[in-house]
Amino acid sequence: MSVSRRKFLGWLGAAGMGTAFGTSANAASNKHFTGYPDSMGILHDISLCVGCRSCEAACNKVNELPPPEKPFDDKSVLDKKRRTTASVHTVVNKYDNAEGTKGPVFVKTQCNHCLEPACASACFVKAFAKTKEGPVSYDPSVCVGCRYCMVACPFNIPTYEYDSAFSPRVMKCTMCHPRVIQGRLPGCVESCPKEALTFGKRDDLLRIARERIRKHPERYVDHIYGEHEMGGTSWLYLSNTSFASIGMREDLGTTAAPNLTAGALGAVPLVVGLWPVLLTGVYAMSKRKEKIAKEEEAQAVGDAVAATKAEGEEKLSAALAKAGKDKDSAIKREVKKALEEAAKAQKEEAAEAKTEEDA
Amino acid sequence: MSQEAAVFGETSPPGKSLYTPFNVIAGIILIVGFVITILRFTKGLGAVTNLDNNYPWGIWIGFDLMAGVALAAGGYVTSAAVYIFGMKRYHSAVRPAILTGFLGYALVVVALHYDVGRPWRLPYPFIMQQGTTSLLFEVAACVALYLTVLFIEFSTAPLEWLGLKRARSIVVRLTMVLTIFGVILSTLHQSSLGALFLLAPSKLHPLWYSSYLPVFFFVSSVIAGLSMVIFESTLSHRYFAHKMDETHLAEKEGVALGFGKAASLVLAGYFTIKVLGISMDNNWHLLGTGYGMWFLVELLGFIALPCFLYAVGVREKNLCLIKWTSGLTVLGIILNRLNVCLIAFNWHLPSDEKYFPHWMEIGISVFVVTAGIVVFRFIVTRMPILYEHPDYKDSH
Amino acid sequence: MEKGKSMRRWAGFLITVAIISMCSIGVQGIAELSENVEKRADVVTIDTMKIFGDLERPEVAFLHDLHTDALEKMKKDCSTCHLSGKNFEIIPDTLRAAVEGIDRMSPKFKRLRDMGRQEVMDIYHTNCIECHTNMLADGEKSGPVTCGECHKEDEDKVMSSRQPAGFDKSLHFRHSKAQENKCERCHHEFDEKTKKLVYVKEKEGSCRYCHKKETEENRIPMQLASHLSCIDCHKQTKAQNKKTGPVKCAGCHDLASQDAIAQVDTVPRMERKQPDMALLRIKTEGEMPGRMDPVPFDHKAHEEYNDTCRVCHHENLDSCNKCHTLEGSKEGKGVNLEQAMHLLNTETGCMGCHEARQDDPKCSGCHSFIEKGRRQDTASCARCHTTLPETAATTDVQLSKEEMSATAAKMLEARKPVTDTFKDEDIPEKIIIKDMVNKYGPVEFPHRKIVQTLVKGIKDNKLANYFHSEKSTVCQGCHHNSPATQKPPRCGNCHDRPFDENNLFKPGKMGAYHIQCMGCHEEMGIKKPVGCTDCHKEKK
Repeated sequence: MSVSRRKFLGWLGAAGMGTAFGTSANAASNKHFTGYPDSMGILHDISLCVGCRSCEAACNKVNELPPPEKPFDDKSVLDKKRRTTASVHTVVNKYDNAEGTKGPVFVKTQCNHCLEPACASACFVKAFAKTKEGPVSYDPSVCVGCRYCMVACPFNIPTYEYDSAFSPRVMKCTMCHPRVIQGRLPGCVESCPKEALTFGKRDDLLRIARERIRKHPERYVDHIYGEHEMGGTSWLYLSNTSFASIGMREDLGTTAAPNLTAGALGAVPLVVGLWPVLLTGVYAMSKRKEKIAKEEEAQAVGDAVAATKAEGEEKLSAALAKAGKDKDSAIKREVKKALEEAAKAQKEEAAEAKTEEDA
Repeated sequence: MSQEAAVFGETSPPGKSLYTPFNVIAGIILIVGFVITILRFTKGLGAVTNLDNNYPWGIWIGFDLMAGVALAAGGYVTSAAVYIFGMKRYHSAVRPAILTGFLGYALVVVALHYDVGRPWRLPYPFIMQQGTTSLLFEVAACVALYLTVLFIEFSTAPLEWLGLKRARSIVVRLTMVLTIFGVILSTLHQSSLGALFLLAPSKLHPLWYSSYLPVFFFVSSVIAGLSMVIFESTLSHRYFAHKMDETHLAEKEGVALGFGKAASLVLAGYFTIKVLGISMDNNWHLLGTGYGMWFLVELLGFIALPCFLYAVGVREKNLCLIKWTSGLTVLGIILNRLNVCLIAFNWHLPSDEKYFPHWMEIGISVFVVTAGIVVFRFIVTRMPILYEHPDYKDSH
Repeated sequence: MEKGKSMRRWAGFLITVAIISMCSIGVQGIAELSENVEKRADVVTIDTMKIFGDLERPEVAFLHDLHTDALEKMKKDCSTCHLSGKNFEIIPDTLRAAVEGIDRMSPKFKRLRDMGRQEVMDIYHTNCIECHTNMLADGEKSGPVTCGECHKEDEDKVMSSRQPAGFDKSLHFRHSKAQENKCERCHHEFDEKTKKLVYVKEKEGSCRYCHKKETEENRIPMQLASHLSCIDCHKQTKAQNKKTGPVKCAGCHDLASQDAIAQVDTVPRMERKQPDMALLRIKTEGEMPGRMDPVPFDHKAHEEYNDTCRVCHHENLDSCNKCHTLEGSKEGKGVNLEQAMHLLNTETGCMGCHEARQDDPKCSGCHSFIEKGRRQDTASCARCHTTLPETAATTDVQLSKEEMSATAAKMLEARKPVTDTFKDEDIPEKIIIKDMVNKYGPVEFPHRKIVQTLVKGIKDNKLANYFHSEKSTVCQGCHHNSPATQKPPRCGNCHDRPFDENNLFKPGKMGAYHIQCMGCHEEMGIKKPVGCTDCHKEKK
């Protein structure tokens, strides 16, 4: 197909104008989000937790969750490892014989409110958002229920209301966002008697954690879990035993979740831009090949026809020439014959005239 | 009327009863499926599935969606081969491939309605909030667009059947554009289905997790498409031969050989990049573990072996071997999708926390596939898929 | 289809299946290390070939006691494997008496020394495998005969549970009694001139002062020295049918056996002319104004606090400042005098040991909350560093050892520390904590009882007495970060709102109560009160 110069320049201009209106995409970049300024977080000091489950009870009350099977002061529940469920946003688990401790170690598990949450990156209706106050919020009014967030979360936290037929929601700790906005404390933090949960600005919490490690190096493992894991979380942990031995994965890396798919997403516009060119090019090439093949075929046919024609004409002219020649020689013969006959006749006349003279 | 046709061919061969063995079984499956559907939408997902908080995605995603999309790739592969690469000798395979593709994607969307918590909200990502950071958004957009493309491409057959000449000629003129658009969309969503799992490196076994997952999924979709066309063509020939015209019957061998050769080549490439994937992450030592053995079963038994068998079949013009190999390859693709989505997913968990589908989940999957086959049969026996409509011969 | 092709196809398919199956079966064989791993104290790692270069096969875990027992059953003894030689290794003259009548044996297996690689390897292989084969032929249970059964990979090895063995005061006393206090039987020194091992009186020390982990100069390693001396002597005594120590590995190195060693209740003091009192002062040479006050040190008392001398005298029995000089020296490994005395993270020095004592449950209730990396309050220096009395004249005077000892004794006499606190009437008996009543009722806090219990727990502890002699010190365990007075402020004076931005490191009131109370109970191992309702009743 042919394009006029005017048309081509017009397209270029349009494309250029289009690019002027974009914002920076930073696909597959290594920008690092360190959290909104003054965003809040929670520091969980595992060495202080005694497994009283007041936090679980408070969470249940504040979020108006259904009553549990066994009451919250039932400690036998701690003998089995539990995970969050659709009606339980947070659980405390017990770890006996953790290395380097006198007694059992208790750990509270809940959504870690990552700085760059995997769930928010995964959600295709933007149902999750990292609020500037710190909590990662969930909007059930747009959620379609695809559950990709559950696949994406490296901490295996979000749960789903599989038993609801018409309004199933993804359930997870909200860091009591409505209360936090009002300046109140999250339910679990308020209820913890030992202040194993400290609420405050994330930067301050890091300072507190570092200070505790400095003051008591014999008590704490020299690592603040959540400072850098998965790009940083708003929920930070201090422990008196190795994190791996209390069910906290140490192999998650420090790459924020959105960066994991940024490369693949960045390739999409590339495909959209290049594929038409490539495919049209292939199509054009194959069409051209076809055309050339047709032309060559036509050419071959034409040549064959021409050759046959030429051969025929040659034969014809040869025959004509031969015929002409024959005609000529025939004429010659006739002429010769006529001349001979004329000569002969003349001779006879001459002879006759002589004879008459003699007599 | 041949025996096969009596069993499977027409919905009801003239003069014979509606209750052929196939119809009866299909009917039972459809009824059971219908009942489960009611249960699913009145009682919720928990009542009909074994999905839990550790395994939010089950076989409805792993098999119906992921394997389904991969196996429906025959549409774009065949139309690309014929229209873009100009391989006219496969022309008779285009319509069946487009039909398989269209039905495949349509059924994927149907299965999606079962799996997603609030299916009436499926348009939300497009009309409410666009979660453009998510590869699932991209998958949804591309699948939706591609389903439309396939529908338009397929619509020539019913239009011919209904005799709507003007509409049909408009659609036919769009072929080239639709084909290119289809290839673009397919590249995007086939690879993005794999890229979905890039977000969960800590949950997917390192032998299956790779930053090349999108490439693996895309390349294997090409393989799946090629094999599905051969597979479907074999089945069609067995049960619908009486519907096929001369061109179709004549080109059948060429399609099998040509697509088999292509599949062998692509499988070889796929095998190579899979091995390179292990090498890049230096995961050789994992091959000696239990999961490693399972990975080798997939790699050697369902990638290397069909590659070799295709090559042998093509060289010796052994159509029987090619047919069986296509079946093996299709199984391999299904196995790969199930591995990535379910088996190698959350591999850290102890076996008592692992997922196995509820019989009702399997029931719906079977129901969806059966419905697809029934619709396929309906269309193929009435519309010009396996033959050219006499009014439109040689008019593309 | 031709039959040949079909057969080939099937053959190929079956071969593939077979290969995959074999691999899968092989997977089962990759066994995990079993939960019930055998742990023994007699595991000797035979890695002799290391001296000849890299090992081709893994080291062998040899079970020594197993073999000794087996040989005993066959009425065989050590000479089955160990050769005796007249002049191998230097036998200290001093030890001769101890090993009279015993064939000194080389601890090496069937050889007196390591010759060449092939010869040593052959000795092991030939002898071990031959013996095992013979026993098996006799129908007896025996050891391995194939390569891999001895040279096991890491995962299959037996785990060693060997505890290091050594002397403490009690065991040393039992030995010296048995040897009739003849120290020369064991203690020796190397005389450079005569190149012999001789006994020097009042220079006895721990074996480990000379015999280190590896051979150093001409001193054999501790492992060899102890096995040669101890086991040979035990063998001799055993031969004389007298009660003696163990000769088998597990006898010394097994934890259970170590716990079973009889302890002497009161061990008489070792006589080595050590001082009762010492005056620790910085050595002077000439003028040196501005010196830290000396520390009078009750050496005799400290001997009783530790099981061995080596806890403090870790290299030799000299005084600390011989190696740990003011500036630090090579002998002291660069650790100067101030560090040696004051470093908190080692129990060899004064403060480190005292700090470690605070982990005792009677102390840790208060002391676990005190920051480990703290800079000491300058007033506490005076607990140890005391100004010399007038009678010691000026600080420049060089005192003799006896004079120093006497001075130290006097200085210690002058300060007899006793844990003190306020009179009972001045300590509130019960405090009702009701300023946080919400879910639970008020707490009846038995204030006086707690103080009395704490004081009772530490009043016999001399170290505690030194630091708790001020009346208000004990109060500071809970009433911290405030002036030391008789009426210290209530907790709520400073602990108010939790999570205060301006007070990041201070817990709120509820947190303060619970961290302090519950933390102390946990540290001190107090079983009750521990739960919520043990302290405050629930308000219904």
